[in-house]
Amino acid sequence: MSTPAVSEPRQPIPVEFADEEESIKITGFWMFLVTDMIIFASLFAVYAVYRSRTALGPTPQQLFHLGPTVLETLLLLTSSFTIGIAVWAMRSNRPRLVLGWLIATMALGAGFVITEISDFVAYTSHGATWHVSGFLSGFYVLVGTHGAHVTFGIMWAITLLLQLRRRGLTPITRRKLFTFSLYWHFLDIVWIFIFTFVYLSGKIA
Amino acid sequence: MSEGMSEHSEIEAVEPGLEFLRPKFEVEGFPWAQVMGYVFSLLLTFAALLLVVYHAMPPILLLAVILALALGQAGLQLGVFMHLREGRGTAWQLLPLGLAFFIAFALIGTSIWIMLFKTGVS
Repeated sequence: MSTPAVSEPRQPIPVEFADEEESIKITGFWMFLVTDMIIFASLFAVYAVYRSRTALGPTPQQLFHLGPTVLETLLLLTSSFTIGIAVWAMRSNRPRLVLGWLIATMALGAGFVITEISDFVAYTSHGATWHVSGFLSGFYVLVGTHGAHVTFGIMWAITLLLQLRRRGLTPITRRKLFTFSLYWHFLDIVWIFIFTFVYLSGKIA
Repeated sequence: MSEGMSEHSEIEAVEPGLEFLRPKFEVEGFPWAQVMGYVFSLLLTFAALLLVVYHAMPPILLLAVILALALGQAGLQLGVFMHLREGRGTAWQLLPLGLAFFIAFALIGTSIWIMLFKTGVS
C-alpha cells in the first residue's frame, strides 16, 4: 500500500517551494491576488455602466489618444517579460542577473507610471477632470487604481532589491521575488484588459 | 540540476494512483518559454491594435475579437509567466482563481446586461 512510485524521475523543487513555510506564503499570495482581481472587476463593472454617461464632457472617442497608451502597453509587457527572466535567473541561481533584470523591471515600470501621469495631465489640462462626468469618474478610478498598484509595486521592488543585495538568494528572498513577480504579471493582465476594454473599445464607433 | 533547486524526497514519494500529486515545476536551461511568451504577447497586442485602428470588422464583432485576444493574453501571462500550474502537490491556487474569474465575469457581464434594458451600454 505504501509503495512509493520509484519509476518516475525525480523532479527538482525550486527553493522557494521546497521550504514549506515559504511555499504556503506563495499560496497565500495567490489568495491576495484573487481578492485584488475582484476589486478590479468591480471597477470594470462601474466603468462599463458609466462609460456612455459623458454629460457635457468628452466621449471616450474624443478623449483617448492611442499613442501614449500603446507605449504604456509596450513598457508593461516588456517589464512582465523582464521579471519573468529575473525569476528564471533566480532558479538558475544567478544573483547578479536577478538584480539586473529586477532593475530593468523597475525602470520599465517607472516609464509606465511617468507616461500614464503625463497622459492624465494632458487630459486634465483639456478640462477632462474626474468630476466632469460619470465616464471620467469611472475612467480615472479604474485606470488610477491600476497606476497606484504599479507605483506601489515599484516601491516594493526597491525594498526587494535592497534585501537581495544584503542577503542574497535565501529561501525568504526567493519567495519574495517570486510573489513580486506574480503581483507584477497580475498587473500586466489587468492592464491588458484596461487597454482592450477602455482604450481600444473607446475607439470603436 | 541547477543549484537553485533542492530535492525533497518525502514530498515526491507518492503512492500509485496519486501521481497527479507529484510536484510540477518548469525548469529550463534557457528561458525559451519566457521569450516565446513575450513574442506572443506582443503579437496579440498588435493584432488587437491593428484590428481597431483599421476598423477591420463590424463594431460588435470587433469588440468580441479584441476581448478574446485579451483573454488569450491573460492565459498566456498566467500559464507562462506566473507558473500557474506549479505546486508541490495540489495546485491550490487554481480553484480560488477560477472562482475569481467567475465572479469577475458575472459582475461585469450582468452589469452590462442589466444596463441594456434602459438605454444601452455601448
